[in-house]
Amino acid sequence: MAANKIDSTLLQMMFVAGAKSLESKKEWINELNVFPVPDGDTGTNMTLTIMSAAREVVSLAQPDMPTLCKAISSGSLRGARGNSGVILSQLLRGFTKVVKEYEEIDIEILCTAMQRAVETAYKAVMKPKEGTILTVARGMAEMAVKLQESKVTDMKVFLQKVLEEGDATLARTPELLPVLKQAGVVDSGGQGLMEALRGAMDAFNGKEVDFNLDGGTANAGVATQAKVNIKYEYNTEFMIRLDKPFNIKNEIDFKEYLETIGESVRVSADENAVKVRICTNDPGFAIQRALKYGSLTNIQIDNLKFAQEKLQQTHENAKPISGSGTEAACVAQSVPEERKPFGFISVSVGNGISEIFTGLGVDCIIEGGQTMNPSTEDMLNAIAKVNADTIFILPNNKNIVLAANQAASLTEDKKVIVIPTKTIPQGITAAVNFVPDASAEENQTVMEEEAERVKSGEVTYAVRDTVIDEKEIHQGDFMGIGDRGILAVGTQKDAVTLDMIRNMIDEDSELISIYYGCDVTEDEAEALRASVESTFDSCDVELQQGGQPIYSYIVSVE
Amino acid sequence: MYVEMEEIIVSKIAIATDSNSGITQKLAGELGVFVLPMPFTIDGATFFEDINLSTEEFFEALDQDKDVMTSQPNPVDLTEFWDSILKEYDSIVYIPMSSGLSGSCQTAMMLAEEYEGRVQVVDNQRISVTMRHSIEDAQQLIELGYDAAAIKQILEEDRFRSSIYIMLDTLYYLKKGGRITPAAAALGTILRLKPVLQIQGEKLDAYAKARTVTQAKTIMTNAIQNDIEKRFSGDYRDMKISIAYTRNIDAAIAFREELKAVFPEAEINIDHLSLSVSCHIGAGALALACSCRLHKPPVR
Repeated sequence: MAANKIDSTLLQMMFVAGAKSLESKKEWINELNVFPVPDGDTGTNMTLTIMSAAREVVSLAQPDMPTLCKAISSGSLRGARGNSGVILSQLLRGFTKVVKEYEEIDIEILCTAMQRAVETAYKAVMKPKEGTILTVARGMAEMAVKLQESKVTDMKVFLQKVLEEGDATLARTPELLPVLKQAGVVDSGGQGLMEALRGAMDAFNGKEVDFNLDGGTANAGVATQAKVNIKYEYNTEFMIRLDKPFNIKNEIDFKEYLETIGESVRVSADENAVKVRICTNDPGFAIQRALKYGSLTNIQIDNLKFAQEKLQQTHENAKPISGSGTEAACVAQSVPEERKPFGFISVSVGNGISEIFTGLGVDCIIEGGQTMNPSTEDMLNAIAKVNADTIFILPNNKNIVLAANQAASLTEDKKVIVIPTKTIPQGITAAVNFVPDASAEENQTVMEEEAERVKSGEVTYAVRDTVIDEKEIHQGDFMGIGDRGILAVGTQKDAVTLDMIRNMIDEDSELISIYYGCDVTEDEAEALRASVESTFDSCDVELQQGGQPIYSYIVSVE
Repeated sequence: MYVEMEEIIVSKIAIATDSNSGITQKLAGELGVFVLPMPFTIDGATFFEDINLSTEEFFEALDQDKDVMTSQPNPVDLTEFWDSILKEYDSIVYIPMSSGLSGSCQTAMMLAEEYEGRVQVVDNQRISVTMRHSIEDAQQLIELGYDAAAIKQILEEDRFRSSIYIMLDTLYYLKKGGRITPAAAALGTILRLKPVLQIQGEKLDAYAKARTVTQAKTIMTNAIQNDIEKRFSGDYRDMKISIAYTRNIDAAIAFREELKAVFPEAEINIDHLSLSVSCHIGAGALALACSCRLHKPPVR
């Protein structure tokens, strides 16, 4: 291949290779999350975003540049989920806006496209933060300009240098963003971008690209609607309680062994325990081998094939709202025949919280806020279902706000207003404060103000050791996370919750609401309520069953 | 005949109302108006507000979840009430609670037909503090020399020039009494809410909801400001502004202090909500109301 220019066929291959490369590093990128919460992860979000585009891209036979660009742009915009996913989709949108005008891309065009990509992505974020995927993208775009000015004419050299600059910028992200430095990681979104580009670079260099997207999607436990051929049937997870030291050599040996019997191997060790995950056809072998190091707990083996079949059935029966295959679903809403002036869409977690939102008049609930961030497309489908002139969206998670904004900007026949609620309590307060008689603008103002006034706190457990806000956190510790960082850490769930509330409350506080999660029994929750009532006797305390996963307690103070 | 009537009416006009106005018998004496006590039954026994049942006894009965019900004044009680007033006065301007909330206005109108114009029943759809505003207006109109029929007409023209927002501590009593519109009933969720209801003219309906008293007060204040801005003259000094409460006068006083920031020159009255209103909304309710002053009626 002459390859001093990139035509649509090559770009198609590069894009697919990039998507696959990102996907293969997904788990690893997930690990880079700063907060050690079992949460919607960057790697997963970015992968789902790019895969949504890749699916459209592979279906095109010898596309011309405009067709290819449209597939990349609209596929990723609609599939975008999580902040990093939305930013990635905006980078792609900006990039393709330029290149779609040409049959072949040379260095000059590439340079312009990269500038445009960065501009577009910065604009999509209300308060762009440095030390993130944005910085990494900008670093590369600036290098591209420099290279062009210094008359680099070899495309390969050009791309290589741009990638090097991207890696260098990525390595600097901890200097720009203190939370990264404290956690000892680089920015996960930036890392995701580099992985995608590295895959594209390999394709440019002539590495063969497999257009079959099916491999490896099942192992993340993420449901995709694309037909998945499951190579290894059992997703096996367990914990080894160590009875002797487990050194690096043990770890490497063990991993190597596991890789011979399966894939998607994860082994994470601390002093006392090793967490293991593998997809294999012989879970017995993995367990047998693990017994060498200690005794096993929390053993969980799931049959992926059955799970997938069941999922497909549910999808077929339930006509899911989502074309991209998330857990999101619009609950029990028959579309009203008459168009209403106002409608509500809310992202929710847990049956209890969904019920509260429905009771407050929310028309469409998108489930799955924490573990799986809904995509722009999920939002668009929900918007299509709500027959109203003005639709308010309550994202209720800071990682979903951008996807909601993106859906709003892609909607033309209805006015969509995103109230940027970052937590469930903010969403509940916004919904409560809605006044049907007032105008959309008046409601927007009041809902935003009142949501801002609520203090939220969430109690969950740490998935790994880290240091945040100068608080040392150990794996398995409970953490109370407030609106602006970690408020409490400890080994006792209730003590951490009380501690967290103490840090949320002030003399104006009137009401403490506690939503207990699916891992908490009613008795435990009642016991907590009693101690909260006696500790903070100037406030009313309300306890509700939330049913949310991951967060034992979601608390609001207002 | 007509001329004779007019001469009589001009001479001596009484203002009468029922206890839904929040005017106690004691205050009635001070104001020089007549107040018919509304009857209600507690576990089957009939009581009269402010006559043989105190506020404390009433709320205790509510707390104990006794069967507390209001009813219209007995027609005989009403005509006897009028008859006794007419011994001293030539005519009566009778201002009962809103026809939208009770049938007693309708009954009074029917009974008044027998009085050959000497009893003018005003159907201006007011309740509580705005009803009291009407009574003050009627007094002013008498001083200005209007007769009872003219007063009725002026007050009825003013029916929509008022607005009330009420925050309830609970929806329990409203639901129990069946006095809830479908919209207001829809407010009921598993979440504990402080519903804010509105009364515009005859309608009692859901307006908004809040989770805390502070939020509810903000909602009511914004709503009244908005009404003054958009429905009335735009100047709060053209309005009478009042607060009403059930069993929590301290909260009402605190609310008045907070409202000084919004309506610095207003003289804000605090009234208790009558027991027959309390019966439907329970203790802990707080209302903010306004009505247009008579001397500067807004352009419709």
